[in-house]
Amino acid sequence: MSSQEKKYMPEISQKEVDELRNQVKTASQRIMAENIEKMKKTAKNRPKAMEYFDEVADLFGKRPKEIQAAKESGKKVIGYTCLFAPIEMILAADAIPVRVNSGWYDTSKLGDRVVPVEVCPVIRSTIGAKMIGLSPYLELSDVLISVLTCDGMTKLGEILSDYKPVWSMPIPRVKDSAQSLRFWREELVTMKGQIEALTGNKITGKKLKSAIEQTQKATKAFRRLQDLRKGNPVIMGRDAMLVNQTYMWDDITRWTEKTEALCEELEEKVRRKEWACSLDAPRVMVTGTPMIWPDNWKLPTLVEEGTPQGVLVADELCSGERLLYDPVGVDEWSMDDMLNAIGERYLMASTCPCFTSKDGNEDRINWMLNKVKEWNIQGVIYYVVRGCMSYAMEYTRIKKVLDKISMPVYYLDTEYTREDVGQMKTRVEAFLEMLTARIDL
Amino acid sequence: MALELLGEALKLTVLAGLVLAGILVTLIWKKDRATKVTYLRFLVQAASFVAVFYMFTYPVWQLIVLAVILIMPIVLGRFFCGWLCPFGFYMDAITLIRKAAKIRHRDLPEKLNVALHNLRYVLLVFFLSVPFVLMWITPLPSLQFIPVLAVVLAGPFTPLGILMGPVIPLIVPWKGPLEISGLYFSYPYVQEIISYANAFFAQGFAWIFVALTFVGSFFIRRVWCRFCPTGSSIAVVNRFKGFKWAPALHLDKDEEKCTKCGICKRVCPVQVTDVYEQKGGKIDTSICMLCLRCVEMCPYEGCLKLKLGGKTVFKSRNWLEPAEVD
Repeated sequence: MSSQEKKYMPEISQKEVDELRNQVKTASQRIMAENIEKMKKTAKNRPKAMEYFDEVADLFGKRPKEIQAAKESGKKVIGYTCLFAPIEMILAADAIPVRVNSGWYDTSKLGDRVVPVEVCPVIRSTIGAKMIGLSPYLELSDVLISVLTCDGMTKLGEILSDYKPVWSMPIPRVKDSAQSLRFWREELVTMKGQIEALTGNKITGKKLKSAIEQTQKATKAFRRLQDLRKGNPVIMGRDAMLVNQTYMWDDITRWTEKTEALCEELEEKVRRKEWACSLDAPRVMVTGTPMIWPDNWKLPTLVEEGTPQGVLVADELCSGERLLYDPVGVDEWSMDDMLNAIGERYLMASTCPCFTSKDGNEDRINWMLNKVKEWNIQGVIYYVVRGCMSYAMEYTRIKKVLDKISMPVYYLDTEYTREDVGQMKTRVEAFLEMLTARIDL
Repeated sequence: MALELLGEALKLTVLAGLVLAGILVTLIWKKDRATKVTYLRFLVQAASFVAVFYMFTYPVWQLIVLAVILIMPIVLGRFFCGWLCPFGFYMDAITLIRKAAKIRHRDLPEKLNVALHNLRYVLLVFFLSVPFVLMWITPLPSLQFIPVLAVVLAGPFTPLGILMGPVIPLIVPWKGPLEISGLYFSYPYVQEIISYANAFFAQGFAWIFVALTFVGSFFIRRVWCRFCPTGSSIAVVNRFKGFKWAPALHLDKDEEKCTKCGICKRVCPVQVTDVYEQKGGKIDTSICMLCLRCVEMCPYEGCLKLKLGGKTVFKSRNWLEPAEVD
């Protein structure tokens, strides 16, 4: 590909690329270690089962090597930029799905060389990561599935096609109509053909069924973890988020096993009443732009290490609960119905703000109201990075709805940068203090 | 003699099966009443099938059956259609064959489904008026009221017979319209129609009915239930505003827990869209026959509920645990 003329990416010398990569990689490794160290320190009675997830969270560690080995043995790796990519099909074709969105702050500055600074930093950072070949998962993927959801994602695929083959999957913006579903189903059928052609494995009914069962089990394990967070905090929000995010690149069967083991340990802790933090800590929910490991961990860290300390118990993030919350519900195990089920799971159940419907994005509001009630949320942080239009624009409506049930919402806008941590700390702590004051009332 | 003995043995076996099924149903229900609704429903259907067969060996019980189909729906909705109707059981059994063959089902267009649903009232009125029309066409010797009524009620197109058409089990204890190696089979409304045809056409009609219902329900789930007049009684009550309280057994949806994932709409065997489309609260539909497939498949805890007189009897689980009947 490099011999071809690049549409977007600037020409950088290999030397500069190597230099930049080493620089960012070293910094990133330090930050990852720091984050995990902080997580270990904050959580009282941190479950032992978390050790596995700490290890998998290392973006330059064991897991990329594993994928590399699998690749050498002939397996294909399929990266995806948005959670609408049908993972079940990738698994059924015996390929490895990895999500390649980047959470590196530093690479977003490199992305500035390609796109203006107004663009969403998740996009810029991913572009930057590709430019210097930083992300092992992005480098290892043979092909990228780019789902055309928000504006940023739409162009991201185009820009990354300078390096890798990209399969675009347009998505209808109105989800609850029959024609949208038909359209999306056609897309899935096309995708199925493409995956089959790449891997050389036919996606048979049997294989697809076992792939669906695999993700269903993962969802089941995840829901078990989520249910544990309903009561007194037995696990810190960051730990749960890390578990959640490792699903994006870990081996799904192993991930499910480890999560089940974690849940067992947590259930034991609940019995022994060993809580992860003070029971007075305000219970916070985050919603908005995806927060991606490793760098973009600043908000959860600030919430859980602030004075007063808060605890994240639920989220509405596409890098968080939305990855796994909805299962593929198959009525009849025929190829036809499995495709319908996969289509509906990704399109209809999604609460992404890139959709609208007759009632607006009602599903997202319902999701939040349900979370607020079931998880006893005391405050919602509406997190938006600069340039994330869809989330920013939906704030007004969400705020109105949450005001009605007198639920405090705090709009926190930021950037992919470490420079505003101090300022954010003040803002987050002020909000948490307000929440604790509310409890006293 | 040997054959009679065999027949008696068969009867006893079936009865024993009925008792066993009853015990099983109770056991499953007691153990965890929130799992495997589809299995449970199959057992209930099978038990009901046998029960109805035995009921039809005594003519007087027919009246009880009629009372059940007429009165029960007012309170229980079309629970009868989903759980007890023998013809429904037959169609579900055909669905199993289709599933085993891995052939996909066809959906009716939504508009057609609603049109068929409305057609059931027309059919009901038509069939109920047939005896009176026939009486009018064929003048009777004496015009006294009671004998006339007797003729009307005893003729082939009796209102009683019409309402019970689909309820009559497929294998009947009397001489049914179809005979296959000693067993008599009956199909809804076939008897009424063939009474007016000669023997040759009667057989022909019967076979056409068999073929239509078989092929129809092979490709379209519960095809007969879309327009069956027996299912009208609840709908009739539900239509009038003053009677909205009447169905004590109904589905209920929690708006906030619903993510509109569309599973309930897809798995419904009679393509009810109201469960998906309604925002929340009591589901107002007269197409639904309370088979509870949607509640079973809904993956959001407590989103869909079956309520009996305001009390939740069964609700959707946190995890989908579908009964895989393939």
